[in-house]
Amino acid sequence: MHPPMSLIFFFLTAGTSIGLFIFMYAIEFLKLFGKGQGLPQEVILKLGVLELILIGLGAFGASFHLGHKLRAWKAIKRFRTSWLSREAVFSGAYGFTLLVYLVLNQVGANPFFEHLFGILTFVLGILSGFSTAMIYASNKFVLEWNSSITVIYYLLMYLMLGSTLMAYFSYLYNLPYLGVFIFLSFLFIALAFGFRLAFNIRQFYLKRPTLNEALNLPHNRPMRVIDTGSTTDNYCTEEFFYRRGKEMLSTVIPLAYLITFLVPLFLVLYAWITGTANHWIFGLTYLFVLFGSALERWSFFVEGNHVQNLFYGLYPEQGYTLRKGFMERKETKISLYG
Amino acid sequence: MAQFALVIDLNTCVGCHACATNCKEWNTQAAFGPLSDFDPYGAHPEGVWYNRIMTYEMGEFPNTQVFHLPKSCLHCQDAPCVPVCPTGASYKREQDGIVLVNYDDCIGCKLCSWSCPYGCREYDEADKVMKKCTLCIDRIYDESLPPEHRKPACVLTCPARARFFGDIEDPESEVYKVIEERNGFVLFPDMGTNPGNHYLPRIETKINIEEFEKHILKPDNPLFLEVMKRHHVSNKGHVPEEKQVEEVV
Repeated sequence: MHPPMSLIFFFLTAGTSIGLFIFMYAIEFLKLFGKGQGLPQEVILKLGVLELILIGLGAFGASFHLGHKLRAWKAIKRFRTSWLSREAVFSGAYGFTLLVYLVLNQVGANPFFEHLFGILTFVLGILSGFSTAMIYASNKFVLEWNSSITVIYYLLMYLMLGSTLMAYFSYLYNLPYLGVFIFLSFLFIALAFGFRLAFNIRQFYLKRPTLNEALNLPHNRPMRVIDTGSTTDNYCTEEFFYRRGKEMLSTVIPLAYLITFLVPLFLVLYAWITGTANHWIFGLTYLFVLFGSALERWSFFVEGNHVQNLFYGLYPEQGYTLRKGFMERKETKISLYG
Repeated sequence: MAQFALVIDLNTCVGCHACATNCKEWNTQAAFGPLSDFDPYGAHPEGVWYNRIMTYEMGEFPNTQVFHLPKSCLHCQDAPCVPVCPTGASYKREQDGIVLVNYDDCIGCKLCSWSCPYGCREYDEADKVMKKCTLCIDRIYDESLPPEHRKPACVLTCPARARFFGDIEDPESEVYKVIEERNGFVLFPDMGTNPGNHYLPRIETKINIEEFEKHILKPDNPLFLEVMKRHHVSNKGHVPEEKQVEEVV
């Protein structure tokens, strides 16, 4: 699949915003039960404004993916069936409740309402991330994406972005939570790495459809694409098969693994074991996670193979001999050879 | 519920692209147009087409068969492109099962094309909306046209008469009968989309080359001498002059 840059941008901004809010509000929420000291009001204001700016930038950036940006509001119409519609609603609602929460927090309003909106924002943030992930995971025509692993590691990466940035701010504002966020950063980077690996390993075991299945022809007939009917690429071949990306994928995936997971893991472990705490180590951890995530998202799109590519002979080949037994058992509706 | 659709006979489709060309022609000038073209006379002509024709070869040499597969929107009965549309621009008509896009509501998010396993939707870079086959809905309900012309442009133009159009749910219709009689099939049946458009399978035509040669190349065949003579001449005719000299030597 062709990677849309605006959606990669949305992942980074919305991911950081939602991840950061989850941890920021978690501290506030625990304070209700007498756990921890909470955050100073000016820190909540600064982090909250940053989250608002990020989600706003994300929504603005993602609109560049649309053909008609001014009609984007119409995307709320099919909430009942479309994950994209749900994502639009939840992201918008997240931004709105975040703003209300910040205002209530700053004016010192009734704690009931403050926490009501805090919890709402928390839930809407998670629902927004979940809906975005489900846009990909629910697409059963891109087998690489069509898995719950996609959703789990998508959300884990949100938490990874949030926890690493929160570790940085904990150091910056001298908060008493640095140790906690070093541990959480390590935990979420490691978990996201594990699920990203599982995502890749799963691809080796996918039962991919064949051109025979696409054309509903007997499975024991070798098929070959002779002509695709046009002299150049068209929308289908360009949108669903990114030729240049496919060539670069074998280089970019290891690089993405290294920058997103391995280097940050090393940095966090180093800070944890040696007790080192400075701007550089936490700032770099977040920046590595951020830029690595951009590469990871790019790979995610390019790794996806849409089944319509079968008609153009651009789908990854399934070993014919490997599937022979499976194919012979399958019933076919027609037979060209009687 | 009615389901209008096309049925395409793979035996008679000769891959002439007349359906695709006439589809483009009609849909560019009529109510749903235009279908944009980019660099039409240059090195990389691209554009939006509702209908594309693929050519495939089946079997192993020398027993191969080539067939052409015209592929436009299949107007699936369980169309996966409809529920994913966030604005409701993509919809399926209840009265005839035709899947359409409301260009005024389409935001160009391309998600419907991601959700089509057949690659039958195309994004128009000029209009910034998703476009697809309408089954020439502006023709088939046009009462100003003579009844025999109220068919999709591709059906009317097909010189091989390989295309049929009608309600596949109506047992009285031509398409229903032809699907029943000739074992019509659909593309990608495992995807659960239940496409409306059907294809009629090719009937086997097999030539045993050895038998053929034995039959023709026997001395009591009055054509034997003529065949051998032509065979000899044609072989000689293809040999370069220099090589002929060498052979004589």
